[in-house]
Amino acid sequence: MAVRRNNRWVWVISLVVVAIVVSRLPIASKIPLIMAPAIETLRTPVGWWQSFSLWFQNSESLQEAYLEAQKQVQRQASLIQETNSLRSENRQLRALLNVAAIPGYRWHAAKVHGRSPDAMSQYLIVQTTGASTDDVIVSSKGLVGVVDSVSGDNVTVRTILDASIAVPVTAPGTALAALLRGQGNSIEVDFVPTEHAPDVGTILYTSGSGGMFPPGIAAARIVSVEPMPGEIFSRVQAEPVAHWQRDNWLAIASSTRTGPK
Amino acid sequence: MIATWVLLLSLGGLALNMAFSQSMVQPDWTLSLLLAVLLAHRSSWAWVLPATGFHDLVFYWNIWGSLPWLIAIPLLLPQLDERLGPGLPQRFVLMLFCSLSLLLQDWSVLAWLLTLALCIPVWFNLANHYARSA
Repeated sequence: MAVRRNNRWVWVISLVVVAIVVSRLPIASKIPLIMAPAIETLRTPVGWWQSFSLWFQNSESLQEAYLEAQKQVQRQASLIQETNSLRSENRQLRALLNVAAIPGYRWHAAKVHGRSPDAMSQYLIVQTTGASTDDVIVSSKGLVGVVDSVSGDNVTVRTILDASIAVPVTAPGTALAALLRGQGNSIEVDFVPTEHAPDVGTILYTSGSGGMFPPGIAAARIVSVEPMPGEIFSRVQAEPVAHWQRDNWLAIASSTRTGPK
Repeated sequence: MIATWVLLLSLGGLALNMAFSQSMVQPDWTLSLLLAVLLAHRSSWAWVLPATGFHDLVFYWNIWGSLPWLIAIPLLLPQLDERLGPGLPQRFVLMLFCSLSLLLQDWSVLAWLLTLALCIPVWFNLANHYARSA
């Protein structure tokens, strides 16, 4: 009996040691990728069902959807025209002001395959091609996170809620140079001087410092500002602008520059 | 045989949780199955605990999600059974204790309740199965 009990302790302790070693290795974030084919298989019938359900929609609602899609295409065509003219105007202004060009990023789409099951989904599994570690993930609303590991066409993404990510940010029209740090459920904004603290509701944008994140992407919305007595910096809390818990498609920005980021 | 089925179903549960985590409220399928096995047959910890470690690595990228809580069962249950006699009360307390790890990992209360709701019938069925085969 005593021998069995000792065996149990030895087994439990060795299991804990092995588990700690595995979780410390850089492969820990690659383990969820093992599940990617199974997740894809589970999601496939949902896609089939969505396609199949179109057969049961009546022609009137399909016609309405078609007309709405046509309107959207027209709106987007005019937006593209406007964007092109703004782009050429921007190029001319940059040439006039002699401003250095913003380093280039190659944008491509990524489909969300899986999310960690916690309420805020701190980690994502997305499918894309040509992504590499530290590429930046963006949704239609704002910054999502960075690519952590790549295995074939599947990548794991650490969102900006993860404590290991720090994002240099600024507020438009100010000289603020702050840093976003994930706290699991929320985001803390470091280095916000009490005298120049932005108001609650202000949206912070990536500043581009450090070269990892492209500048000008909406990253977080300030939810509370608490001046700390006797300290230079205020305690500022924020929430992500992007809603990656719902989005099925995201964009990946791969830096086209070579060398270390 | 039970181990193979439970591990296969647990893998399916992991995939299900990750594929539809935000589209519907789900129990932690894997944790409820593993917890049920552990409560039904405490000697199964030798394969249940590594499976729990894998569950934690997939969901949380570390091993501090549910594994440290489930380790309490093989360590405490034999001693509790020895002192109190084999019975349900200590198992219920340990089940509640282990399932609390979900709330600490930011799962919703509804998901936690669903996990318990799945765990209890699986536990009783497995306990019956083990009793018949003993």
